[in-house]
Amino acid sequence: MPSPASYLLINPAKPSSFRRLPPPPPSPRLPTRRLHVSCDAPRGSGRSGGVGGRRETIPAGASKAKKQIVFFDAAPPVSQPQPQQGGSVVEKGESEKPTKEGSGNAALSLLRRATKKTLAALSNLPLAISEMFTIAALMALGTVIDQGEAPSYYFEKFPEDNPVFGFITWRWILTPGFDHMFSSPVFLGLLALLAASLMACTYTTQLPMVKVARRWSFTHSGERIRKQEFADSLPRASIQDLGVILMGAGYEVFTKGPSLYAFKGLAGRYAPIGVHLAMLFIMAGATLSATGSFKGSVDVPQGLNFVIGDVMKPRGVLSVAPDVFNTEVHVNRFYMEYYDSGEVSQFYSDLSLFNLDGKEVMRKTIKVNDPLRYGGITIYQTDWGFSALQVKKNGEGPFNLAMAQLKLNGDKKLFGTFLPLEDSNASNPSVKGISMLARDLQSIVLYDQDGKFVGVRRPSSKLPIEINGNEILIEDAIGSTGLDLKTDPGVPIVYAGFGALMLTTCISYLSHSQIWALQDGSTVVVGGKTNRAKLEFSEEMNRLLDKVPELIGANENVVDSKSTAT
Amino acid sequence: MLFATLEHILTHISFSTISIVITIHLITLLVRELRGLRDSSEKGMITTFFSITGFLVSRWVSSGHFPLSNLYESLIFLSWALYILHTIPKIQNSKNDLSTITTPSTILTQGFATSGLLTEMHQSTILVPALQSQWLMMHVSMMLLSYATLLCGSLLSAALLIIRFRKNFDFFFKKKKNVLLKTFFFSEIEYLYAKRSALKNTSFPAFPNYYKYQLTERLDSWSYRVISLGFTLLTMGILCGAVWANEAWGSYWNWDPKETWAFITWTIFAIYLHSRTNPNWKGTNSALVASIGFLIIWICYFGINLLGIGLHSYGSFTLPSK
Repeated sequence: MPSPASYLLINPAKPSSFRRLPPPPPSPRLPTRRLHVSCDAPRGSGRSGGVGGRRETIPAGASKAKKQIVFFDAAPPVSQPQPQQGGSVVEKGESEKPTKEGSGNAALSLLRRATKKTLAALSNLPLAISEMFTIAALMALGTVIDQGEAPSYYFEKFPEDNPVFGFITWRWILTPGFDHMFSSPVFLGLLALLAASLMACTYTTQLPMVKVARRWSFTHSGERIRKQEFADSLPRASIQDLGVILMGAGYEVFTKGPSLYAFKGLAGRYAPIGVHLAMLFIMAGATLSATGSFKGSVDVPQGLNFVIGDVMKPRGVLSVAPDVFNTEVHVNRFYMEYYDSGEVSQFYSDLSLFNLDGKEVMRKTIKVNDPLRYGGITIYQTDWGFSALQVKKNGEGPFNLAMAQLKLNGDKKLFGTFLPLEDSNASNPSVKGISMLARDLQSIVLYDQDGKFVGVRRPSSKLPIEINGNEILIEDAIGSTGLDLKTDPGVPIVYAGFGALMLTTCISYLSHSQIWALQDGSTVVVGGKTNRAKLEFSEEMNRLLDKVPELIGANENVVDSKSTAT
Repeated sequence: MLFATLEHILTHISFSTISIVITIHLITLLVRELRGLRDSSEKGMITTFFSITGFLVSRWVSSGHFPLSNLYESLIFLSWALYILHTIPKIQNSKNDLSTITTPSTILTQGFATSGLLTEMHQSTILVPALQSQWLMMHVSMMLLSYATLLCGSLLSAALLIIRFRKNFDFFFKKKKNVLLKTFFFSEIEYLYAKRSALKNTSFPAFPNYYKYQLTERLDSWSYRVISLGFTLLTMGILCGAVWANEAWGSYWNWDPKETWAFITWTIFAIYLHSRTNPNWKGTNSALVASIGFLIIWICYFGINLLGIGLHSYGSFTLPSK
């Protein structure tokens, strides 16, 4: 049912469409300033070919003679239509070069052919798509299978005598390394293959497309214009009016004699290349991150210090320890803030950095979401612990009681300590004493020597409590801060890639629209195509073409002037 | 307390309006289309939009942070985003098939958020330390906007698939029955179509080319545009998330399940965009990919939180009274 025109409308304007774009020989292409840009379409022979279409078109010679109007300031020097022969000579010279070199060295040509074949294979779209599908599937699998467990876990979960789904045993998981999917050779290899495909596609498909899109092509064949995805003809109209209207709509317009070429959103045509390059940047940065970074984590009680180099472990072969690793970090203070409901709202660590000479080089209070950065090292607040409890017993002390973390299901933490009330010796191993439990640094729950609940005390309250005849005063609760440290040389590259990717994906939303028009007597034939927003394009075109004023009485003149010109 | 009452009132207004709008849609579907009802359903959508916006703003003011801290709020935001998507073409005053998808989506999301979740989950939750960042607003709103956009786009593709397959089915059916009848039938349709488009040409001189598009082609083109937009938003959302993760968790990428699934979603829609560059795959095949994407988005958005694994399991299915 679709009419031929609608069939054309669904035709894709896709990256490879540039192959269809080069004009048929009859329309003499305007040589632009970049003559070295080569094109597959035979250009020189075009002169001898018959003029395309049933419609009489204006020969190039005539158009040369006519005045040229370039509407746009930044237009290329279209006003220098060089002799056609000159152009073809340059063409020939370029096309002959590779063959000469090829015959000179057989091995080199073989290598070149092999490279070409590899490139063609890699830039193959179905291959790239299947790579992406496989990677997506592997990633999904990586979230389904528990990652990073000990082999015994997999032996137990995927037993050989009772396979999951009848065939999946631990061999299926451990052999390809699916227990650590995101660092398994299969996965990384596929990513590398995808990167290779990206590069090959950029090189073989996208870059040539730029060359084609970059030249403005006028067409002198009404037939070709009519064959565009969008085509219309305006009776009694002037191509100049159309040009002005298109300019008003943001098009860059070039006219040459009776023909017009206009385009908009060229950046949308280039942006996918940027997307690919940005992806490559991110991949390169991630590779550097994986091979050249240091990581470490440390649990430091308040008031103590550590040397950065002691906790950092290299993660890859390229990890080189920087000088700042001899910096000493001192935890001045660790504290938490709480909501009214008693839940933790934020963790803070007041850190000071000292260099080898013992001079303080930096001091900052870090919190979650606000790390410290110094000389390529980033220190994150990630965890917390309860290091010790300062307790006075009957006015003696204070004693520092070390807190131990008790095993508990779930995310909640629980710490406990024990204050013995009698000396322990060999004859009396089961010492009785006071137990103290704490969920956070705010409140301590105390139990007497029979294990009965006695009361709750806040470390800040300075309120003593009487247990089994002893007066216990909790002086202070000392927390410990859990810090993560890292150096990552890949981050700047990855961030550059991120920025480029955001920008280029946004620009990719633009569609590259091209419009050709030809003054054919008193009628203007308009045709155009776009690579993305097809519906919007035809709507916009209809709206714009409606604005083109209808010339009354002037049509005779146009025909006259034309006939004299030809 | 004042805010709680206000939120309560707004929720009830939007929910009752939605019930009315759903009824109107059902009447339109089952009985027949009434001009007056259509207008009132549009008015209902606007009422809902304002009450949702009011709800989100009052949440923001009362809790002091961007209202995207739990599943309920994010669903409400998703429905709000769908409404925005519904409105954009309306502002541009361009005719399209998008509203057929966005209206029910808005309604269903809103309805599910209000009635499908437990009342305890409606409460605003406090922010855990890791979420206290300006990135929350940027990352989560971008992600939800992209989910809304991609869901619409993939639903358009799914609609395209359904129409295509039904057509094929009819075609085979008729072929078996009577070839002669079929040819006659088709030529008649062609004739009717030509006549109608000629008619349209005269009545709508502004869009002669517009009606050359078949419904499927229009759907295809719209879903492509919408998915491209969603893909851009998804890219930005993921990248914002990566930058945030580098501030909060110590690495820009942790292969956390939610991250991974967001990346899978991204990959699927990248495949969609690439598959469209091949003329042979355009249409049915790419629509199939987009329909897979629809499922993937739901796994990413809901499934991961349902399982409660990884670093992203914030305030989703944890009840306050635990």
